Amino acid sequence: MEKALQIIEEMTRLKVIRAYAIGGGIAATYYIEPVLTYDLDIFFMPIEEGLDELAPIDEFARSRGYSEQAEALLIEGFPVQFIPAYNELVREAVAAAVTLKYRGVEARVVTAEYLAAIALQTGRAKDRERVIRLLEAAAIDRSVLEKILVAHGLAERLRKVENDFRDE
Amino acid sequence: MTSVTNEAAERVFRRKRERRRQLAKLSFEKKIEIVIELQKTAAGIHKDPRRFVWPL
Repeated sequence: MEKALQIIEEMTRLKVIRAYAIGGGIAATYYIEPVLTYDLDIFFMPIEEGLDELAPIDEFARSRGYSEQAEALLIEGFPVQFIPAYNELVREAVAAAVTLKYRGVEARVVTAEYLAAIALQTGRAKDRERVIRLLEAAAIDRSVLEKILVAHGLAERLRKVENDFRDE
Repeated sequence: MTSVTNEAAERVFRRKRERRRQLAKLSFEKKIEIVIELQKTAAGIHKDPRRFVWPL
């Protein structure tokens, strides 16, 4: 995975993408117990907002001989899924990302609070469970999360998820 | 759905929560090793050509 992380960092330096942050299962695994996942999800800010935000990534991948597998790009044999930052919440999450270290390689990852907010916004069963796990693991600064949720109209969703899990 | 009122059951759930907290404190490197072990276990039960065990 460290080679893939190095290449993603390189893509930022080469301006293939403007900024990025790891999200999804790997970000969750960074903060809570390990979860089964198969892709490294990368939220990215494109160099240019426009018609095909994935085009520079595809071009870069072709130049390096990286192939696609299902919906992922195989970077140094590692499945990476590039997801354009698709709304204001995800754009903020990329901007507020923090640095993690894996085997000596630094990479950007969304904060636990933004990970929870995105999970609440996405709202699938596994996302709702992820929010509870993040809260249980004390990985979250509650006041920071509340601010994010209020700004994005998601505060009520947190209360509902907590109530649902409390009743189970 | 009902709340847990049984003390023994509550103790079990509390231990589970504690175990999850302990797992959350593992190093990121160790956690990735565990993810790969989970992938191996899943692949042993059901082969999916679109999902493969990560090279470490």
